[in-house]
Amino acid sequence: MNFLAAYFRNHLARALTVVVVVLAAASTAFSGNELAGRWTLTITFPDGPGSTTTRTQTVTLEVFPRGESLHGRANLTDGAGKRYGATWRQVGKRVSIAYELPCSGDTQCASLILQGRVKGGGIVIKKGSVIVVWDTPNNRNPALFDTSNGTFRGDRIE
Amino acid sequence: MKSTALVRVAVIIFSILGLSLEAPTAKLQTEHTLAGEWLVTSSPINGQTASPKGVSLGFPDRDMVFEQQGDIRIGVVLREDVGHDVRPLGVWRVNGDQFSTTFQLWCPNEDGPCGSIVMRGRFVREDRISGTMTAFFDVFDDSTPTGYDSWTFSFVGNRTAAAASGGSN
Repeated sequence: MNFLAAYFRNHLARALTVVVVVLAAASTAFSGNELAGRWTLTITFPDGPGSTTTRTQTVTLEVFPRGESLHGRANLTDGAGKRYGATWRQVGKRVSIAYELPCSGDTQCASLILQGRVKGGGIVIKKGSVIVVWDTPNNRNPALFDTSNGTFRGDRIE
Repeated sequence: MKSTALVRVAVIIFSILGLSLEAPTAKLQTEHTLAGEWLVTSSPINGQTASPKGVSLGFPDRDMVFEQQGDIRIGVVLREDVGHDVRPLGVWRVNGDQFSTTFQLWCPNEDGPCGSIVMRGRFVREDRISGTMTAFFDVFDDSTPTGYDSWTFSFVGNRTAAAASGGSN
């Protein structure tokens, strides 16, 4: 009997050690969900109001730490090397990133709001959603301007 | 005959010079910027006191500061009525006399819904703006095209301070 009790005590101690290690690892992974860092975002949305043709924009997002604030700044660089500002907020794993798509010859102006969840210990945003607000007024839309929806994915670079 | 031709050539040259000299001036007159400080007052369209899903926003007056550093255009709302550290961030752009700016809402309560604000307006004068803004809340609403609860306002703004030196280029 004493032998059996010692055997179970020994295994119980090992099992508790494993649980503690797993919990500590999970805690570390969760704290790594902060968006700050460099990301590649692949954003797909219609190429204009009411269009069924989509385009995919791949940008590099440099997210600056927000410190004690609820919000932070970020810079986007597109494939042509053009850089523009963005702003972000995060609660838990939920992040929102907003930026203005500048007007250019082949691109319609718009405001983009990206929403997603940081997963995988802070290295990926899968199946994020995008709200696109175009510059074309539309009194039939509750937003008073044409809107579209898109999707995005984020992959942490560093 | 020769003098007539000379006069014609002179008129053409002066016309071209005149156009090239006037063009930058005309361009300068139409270049607007949000850079600076603005007091913006908003009011819900149709008197709605909350979004269709019951989400509300706070005080209607907003002290907003816009900056430009190169290609980066940032805006800050000074919510000193709530706290000195409460400073929602946004981004902006200008196209002719039209502008667009998008802000993230400040949501200290993790349990409540959050959202983003898109403002669209125009320069009535260099120191006065007006337009509409839409709040998109993180609450699903299948009756809207975006699928998100949204709430619209009209707004007017008056510039209270010019951009800081070097803040706009």
